[in-house]
Amino acid sequence: MSEAAGVIHDIGYQRYSGPRLGRGYVFSSMYVHGLRTAFGLGRSAKAKIFPWFVVGVVFLTGTILAAVRAQIPDAGVTYTAFVDMMAWLVVFFVAVVAPELVSRDLRAGVLPLYFSRPLRRTDYAYAKLAALATAVWLLLGAPQVVMFLVAAFSADNMSQFWTEVGDVGPGLFYAALWAALFAGIGLLVASLTGKRAFAAGGIVAVFLMTTPIVGVMSVMPSQTMNELALLFSPSSLVFGVGMWLFGTADGDTDSIGPFGPLYLAVTIGVVAGCVALLQARYRKVASS
Amino acid sequence: MVPQTIAWITARGLFGRRRFLLLIPLPLLVVGLAVLSRAFGVAPENWAQPVLVGLGLAVVLPVIALIVGTGVLGSEIDDGTIVHILTKPLPRWQIVLPKLVVATAVTTVTVSISLYVAGVLAHSVRLGLGLALAGLVGSLAYSALFLALSLVTRRPVLLGLVYVLVWEGLLGNFVSGTRVLSIQQYVLTIADKVAPTGLLQSKVSLPVAIIMSAVFAVGFTLLAIDRLRSFSVAGETS
Repeated sequence: MSEAAGVIHDIGYQRYSGPRLGRGYVFSSMYVHGLRTAFGLGRSAKAKIFPWFVVGVVFLTGTILAAVRAQIPDAGVTYTAFVDMMAWLVVFFVAVVAPELVSRDLRAGVLPLYFSRPLRRTDYAYAKLAALATAVWLLLGAPQVVMFLVAAFSADNMSQFWTEVGDVGPGLFYAALWAALFAGIGLLVASLTGKRAFAAGGIVAVFLMTTPIVGVMSVMPSQTMNELALLFSPSSLVFGVGMWLFGTADGDTDSIGPFGPLYLAVTIGVVAGCVALLQARYRKVASS
Repeated sequence: MVPQTIAWITARGLFGRRRFLLLIPLPLLVVGLAVLSRAFGVAPENWAQPVLVGLGLAVVLPVIALIVGTGVLGSEIDDGTIVHILTKPLPRWQIVLPKLVVATAVTTVTVSISLYVAGVLAHSVRLGLGLALAGLVGSLAYSALFLALSLVTRRPVLLGLVYVLVWEGLLGNFVSGTRVLSIQQYVLTIADKVAPTGLLQSKVSLPVAIIMSAVFAVGFTLLAIDRLRSFSVAGETS
């Protein structure tokens, strides 16, 4: 019995020697869990109230717009216009979900447990970001699909159907732009504090306080400044990109002038910057 | 003696943490935008609406009142130290009122100074004073509302955001009926009536604004006192 010297506690349990699920599995688990958390699935009823309130309002609006489009084809309610209308609700949704995803882990101090698994620090941030972006994209994309189905089934001929397909594709891409930008900014703000309440307040403050800057810049006496005004707030920034890529319902793109490519570059830059800062944040959190 | 102590503890709880720094950029932005507009010679008719109303009264005032108002009692509930105050043989109003006074004072100081400066830059000292007074009334009403919310629900900030974003922000602009129950509209009316400049558009009458602000402030204070009487300390929501 005593030949196993040097082993303190070997009480004879069989060791696991089979294959272990690696980094990719952990990543996909975190992603799926994050996505479920976003909508409060697998959580108490209280956790479902706010996400599903937003989902309900968005779907209600989408259904009403689908009905309006079916009755009045020239109402000018496009898929991208629907996304623009939902701006405040998206801000609220991000303010609800982003703290749930990252602030709780900070507060409960479970990050060392995550990082003791075969999961890199960057993976944690990427998984959370992907989950939040997907949730926002689903929030904006699913009602568009409803609108598309209503329009597709009431289409008179195939060419109308293909027009709808050509409209809903950019709409979904536009929703993805919103999702990337809002998820990046929201998650970055939320990762700074462990208190969900303050994370939510901070996210809303960032989005709300930037909107009036656009208002002031657009009445400045310089035309270049007016055309650059939309750069100063996340929602108007994406709006500018959408205007450049897809045009508006009335074909008016004067308000961004020739700066369309700049808008796209700034959007990509802001998303990349948020991701980089998020990574830096988690390198610091993990080491402390 | 006891109210001063509670007020002092509350003030220290607010200022002793880093999140207090969150309160600084918003008012600075109001003043900064006003100075910028003035420097570029933009007509006040063009920038008063986005800066004074869009940013000042519709964002800075409610957001700061939300952070401070839910913070004075909410943070003590969160970390559990509220128990120490609740176990003292104090009438509940002696706990709620000092906290409300601190919340209102902090919000007023932060908001009204920047609004005063922006108002003076936009039109006149009178508009500045009107906005500062409106800031005071708004701080009181919002603080009472958010203080009561932090006792009624476990998620006061989110519910407060629903009120500010959805009720006042979305519905207040489209559905006229909600304006009667919107602090933002009372504040706007008071500022407009003190200094009738035409820069601000008020949509409710002055008596309604004054009476309803008082109803909000007194009603929610009473609600907070009542809720604190039968308050049970629970863990964080899942």
